[in-house]
Amino acid sequence: MIRTASTIRTASLGTFTLYKRRLAVATKTASGIAGTMTLPVLWVLIIAPALASALGGFNPSIDYFTYVVVAQVALIVPFTSMFSGINVIVDKEFGILREFLVAPVFRASIPLANALAVLTIALVQVALIVGLGTARGAEFNTSPTGVLWFLAAVALLSLTTYAVAEFLALAVGRQEAFGPLIPAVGVTPWFLAGSLFPLNVLPPGVEQVALASPWTHALAVMRYGLMENTDPGLANIWHMNSELLMAALSLGVLMLMTLGALTLAVWVFNRKTMA
Amino acid sequence: MNVKDELARATMGEHGEEGRKMRRDLPPRPAHEGLGEVPGDSGAVVSVQHLRKTYPGDVEALKGVSFEVQEGEIFGMLGPNGAGKTTTMGILTTTVRPSSGSAVVAGHDVVREALAVRQAIGVAFQESVLDNDFSGLDNLRLHARLWRVPRVEADQRIAGLLEAMELTERARDGVRTLSGGMRRRLEIARALLSNPRVLFLDEPTLGLDPAVRQGIWESIEALRLRSRITVVLSTHYLEEAERVCDRVAIIHQGRIVALDTPKALLKSLGEEAVELKVEDDPATVLPVLAGLGLNGSPPLVMGKTITIPLTDGPTQAPSLMDRIRGQGIAARAMGIRRTTLNDAFLRLTGAGVDGEDGQLGGNQ
Repeated sequence: MIRTASTIRTASLGTFTLYKRRLAVATKTASGIAGTMTLPVLWVLIIAPALASALGGFNPSIDYFTYVVVAQVALIVPFTSMFSGINVIVDKEFGILREFLVAPVFRASIPLANALAVLTIALVQVALIVGLGTARGAEFNTSPTGVLWFLAAVALLSLTTYAVAEFLALAVGRQEAFGPLIPAVGVTPWFLAGSLFPLNVLPPGVEQVALASPWTHALAVMRYGLMENTDPGLANIWHMNSELLMAALSLGVLMLMTLGALTLAVWVFNRKTMA
Repeated sequence: MNVKDELARATMGEHGEEGRKMRRDLPPRPAHEGLGEVPGDSGAVVSVQHLRKTYPGDVEALKGVSFEVQEGEIFGMLGPNGAGKTTTMGILTTTVRPSSGSAVVAGHDVVREALAVRQAIGVAFQESVLDNDFSGLDNLRLHARLWRVPRVEADQRIAGLLEAMELTERARDGVRTLSGGMRRRLEIARALLSNPRVLFLDEPTLGLDPAVRQGIWESIEALRLRSRITVVLSTHYLEEAERVCDRVAIIHQGRIVALDTPKALLKSLGEEAVELKVEDDPATVLPVLAGLGLNGSPPLVMGKTITIPLTDGPTQAPSLMDRIRGQGIAARAMGIRRTTLNDAFLRLTGAGVDGEDGQLGGNQ
């Protein structure tokens, strides 16, 4: 019992220390803070209204501006995760990772702390998007439960994509090789996830690929949380009648993906950092 | 207060004067003379048995290394690049997984109890390993949190270590702005911050100018004087190891080829030597020297320098030099000097510690 308590204490203290350090790195420079905030602000204030105005929407029951504001959440969260993969490479090649490897913390604490720091940054960005969106006239139809569904999807998408970023960063090992992967892996799936148009207009085959993507499930659950009973995203995935059941299924899929991705990331981390 | 006193104070933590007295009262450090045999009891704070490491591609970095380090000892691992020093350090600091064999640090197995090992050690790496986005003070505070040093104690120790390492005035500057010597001193201070039982220093003075190297060795010697901390270090600078280490292990191609006190290693070689810098190919000179009936260790050759160790330097050297002159050997210079660990290294490995091939005269 004492041993278990001690293990939990060691794990949590180590993770928390590394988490705070990662956040400090992210917020160390004004350019770093501005960089994480520019796209959400630009999107909500300029791009989303422009898209809504130009395209008008595909379903009269859906406010297209709100639709693409939520889509922005599913864009910025993975993008932030992928971008933070660079920090993994910098820490390994030029920085402090070796110090962490000889510290009395569990090795898994290192990638997990990074993932939690990235999630924190993502939540700040999400708050900015939702806040600005509301101010700009987004019609969120939600409830406290809906917000929880939304936040759960945000968190799982952030953790999954961070795990993918960590895996890729350790696998390629160099900033020059990792840079091109950021848009390729961090943004491309977003276009297929029902971000700007519903899944059912995708070509056959591509739609099936989209169904295997965490972006697709996360975005559908996010809209279920913030646009209750208006968005057909979940129905396009599961073709069922119960919104709650479909949301639970998508969240379950996301959880499995998150668990798998984090396990893979920790495994790769151990392999790449232990000779 | 001088550097040694500052370091002593900083490494004694909250014990203050009481701690200082306690250390003064400690029994004298064991002298490990003889052939490097250390009692197999548990005075050993580091115990390595039959350690092997094979990297992918069947690269054998360690081929069965065994040694023990006693508490309070300064133990040096000497050898050229690729000898296996860094792999040994990596295993002892839990960043490299051994292929077979065992290693115990501070009573904990490095594989099964890696976390406990890491709690008990401090490490200064060969390369600079600092958080470049932050100041020296931030780096030290981060370390203190990771090693769970209580806040008040950490602040006291940080102040003392910064003072000891003469970094107080630069503590709040970004580490990117520090010189190589300052960064290295900061890293040693950081490694000492958690009051480790074992301090690992991987090439602590590599790439530093002589004055800075001198300062760092003084700091390590201060530790030896005032603290029971055990230090395991690797270095290329054999003369420096000779000065500071209680015992050294000479590692060559993944094996320990000698393990003893520097004094014993030199004694086995001969404490003084005649050094001869020749104009011609040394290979043509060696038979002539052999004909002079040398009764010490066979000559050592590195480039165009021939070193002839002598068992009784003061007596033998003058007459040997006369006999060499009498043979008409074209010499650019000739003199008597003390033997060094470099000579012992060349004798044991047939190569210089910098990897340059040497050769041994006489029958080996």
